[in-house]
Amino acid sequence: MAAPFKPFTDSPIAYVDNDGNSVAKMKSNFSDDDLKKLYRLMVLCRAIDDRGYIMVRQGRAGFLAQTAGQEAAQIGSAFMLKKKDWVFTTHRELGAALTKGMTPGQLLAHVLGKDLDPSKGRNMPSHYGDGELNIVTPSSVVGNKTPAAVGVGMAAAIRKTGQVAMCYMGDGATSEGDTLAAFNFAGVFNAPTIFALQNNQYAISIDVKHQTKSRTFAEKAAAFGFDGYLVDGNDVIACAEVSKFAIDKARTGGGPTLIEFLTYRYGPHSSADDDSRYRKKEEIELWRNTRDPIMRMRKFLTKQGLLDDTSEAKMQEEIKQAVEEGLTEAEASPLPAPETVFDHAYATLLPHQIDEKIEIFGHA
Amino acid sequence: MPIETATKTMTMVQAVREAMLEEMRLDDTVCILGEDVGPRGGVFLCTEGLHAEFGPDRVIDTPLSEAGILGSALGMAMNGLRPVAEIQFIDFLFPGYDQLYSEIAKMRYRSAGMFKAPMVIRGPYGGGVRGGVYHSQSPEELFAHIPGLKVVIPSNPYDAKGLLIAAIRDEDPVVFLEPKRIYRGVKSEVPGGAYTVPIGKANVVREGSDATLISYGAMLHVALEAADRLAAEGKNVEVIDLRSLVPYDGETILTSVKKTGHAVVVVEAPKLGSFANEISAYIAEKAIEYLEGPIMRVASIDTSVPYNLEKYYLPDADRIVKATKKTLEF
Repeated sequence: MAAPFKPFTDSPIAYVDNDGNSVAKMKSNFSDDDLKKLYRLMVLCRAIDDRGYIMVRQGRAGFLAQTAGQEAAQIGSAFMLKKKDWVFTTHRELGAALTKGMTPGQLLAHVLGKDLDPSKGRNMPSHYGDGELNIVTPSSVVGNKTPAAVGVGMAAAIRKTGQVAMCYMGDGATSEGDTLAAFNFAGVFNAPTIFALQNNQYAISIDVKHQTKSRTFAEKAAAFGFDGYLVDGNDVIACAEVSKFAIDKARTGGGPTLIEFLTYRYGPHSSADDDSRYRKKEEIELWRNTRDPIMRMRKFLTKQGLLDDTSEAKMQEEIKQAVEEGLTEAEASPLPAPETVFDHAYATLLPHQIDEKIEIFGHA
Repeated sequence: MPIETATKTMTMVQAVREAMLEEMRLDDTVCILGEDVGPRGGVFLCTEGLHAEFGPDRVIDTPLSEAGILGSALGMAMNGLRPVAEIQFIDFLFPGYDQLYSEIAKMRYRSAGMFKAPMVIRGPYGGGVRGGVYHSQSPEELFAHIPGLKVVIPSNPYDAKGLLIAAIRDEDPVVFLEPKRIYRGVKSEVPGGAYTVPIGKANVVREGSDATLISYGAMLHVALEAADRLAAEGKNVEVIDLRSLVPYDGETILTSVKKTGHAVVVVEAPKLGSFANEISAYIAEKAIEYLEGPIMRVASIDTSVPYNLEKYYLPDADRIVKATKKTLEF
């Protein structure tokens, strides 16, 4: 497949500038409806994220790693995935999970650790997963999901299922050995795996200059024999376009791609972090006020005549309602039954677990 | 390669190879991956001829990375295959230990059963072959301690084949440790065709009434040697082969210990924190009123495995006899 984009560029691939003007060098693959969908997903994602944050502040949720600021990278990259495709999340992929099909109710139930969470609250919040959608419930260990994302792709190629795997990761994950092992395996086995690297500038407090001496993260792919693309990660059209290219390429036997989405997280690493210790408020404000992915897309759609105040207000109202309904659903969902604590350690309980279950619950 | 149906005398290496061969013929989702497992047939020849029969999609030579092998095998298992990942020496697994600890073992639990990892992680382990510090270790308790994994250790070719087939068919990840000291030294009759030995069922390999020796893997044979020597002195000991550590067969252990009143647990790992401790504690909790002497542990010393002084490191029949007499004479 002839690449419509240049890999390993110094400046990010972009379709829309900060003021909502088109800077695209080529025509978009996406219809007006698609563009509106992308925008709506970003607004919905931000609203769910905000709601989660409020729940933490209210003491109703114990933890959250906010997505705000990274909506374009996550939603753009997941937009063209099919239901059967695989998604490997880390601890911040609300946008990817939403785009792949998880509902506001499920996502908020996850934040509350309720039964409606497909992972049944096994993980702390912000670790989204759903077996129906092949969204793999993640571990919290940075960088170690990458090899399995390659293995899933290898199996897809061997079994000829036509699936691809979208493997999310952050800038910090590129320093982990498992990530390099995964890149190497992906190259050697030509796995249909896309590494969606959100460079949000920080791994907790460590900025990118202290993470790597490489000029970009995208260029690391060159060492493993496949292409890396640097993309404006706050430009949802650019994110979706480059991802569509990588997905199509992987699906047709073209192998892996690394995409670096240049973006920024507005919140601290998590609700347990104090980011005032390592970055200036002015830096956050600069991104939030001038480079915000949602604001940029709103300006673009308005300039294109695809959005006006009336349709915007209507959409905002619908989203508000969807989030409230999701929250009601999540809150109505019970906690998983106590006895389920033993479930799924193994396919069936082992004898020593039966002893433990009797000890704790009085019955097997 | 002709399908063998007749019972043959074979080594553990041959039995391990046959288990994979039989399963790959029966189930085309079973595949093998690892270092040098292809045309080379594995450094111990456990996969000899399999690449020729099944091709590079099912017998996959990988780059040199245990994290890559284990992690990609996990992904393959999640997406419809049943991989058997060979680790060339278990000592070399540790660059990939996080894959085992954080990913493979926890996939089913953390996803509340939405994703599973039916896979086998197999490889040679243990000392007695002058392998020095990094080709000799017995780290089985480091796997047994991880909820989500099963840990199986055969002591003879018949069990190796039947247990490995059971492991491949298991719905959960199984760490399958092959005592390389007896890879070729111990032979047994092995039937052709696929059969299973159930995981979690111990084998009473020698009946006796005076004391119970509990062991597994290569140490089982050292325990049997000790049992012979004790028999010559009129002590009639029972010897149990655990076959698997997770799950372990507590019932068989208790039945025996309640009968004999004395328990000696023999393992090849260093003693501190070893699986002998789990078995000893289990016996103490469940049957202390039947005991007529202390539960004894015979294990390797708490050092790394020396190349040149291994004889002083590993348990031998002398130490087992001594420990058994100590509890018998308590």
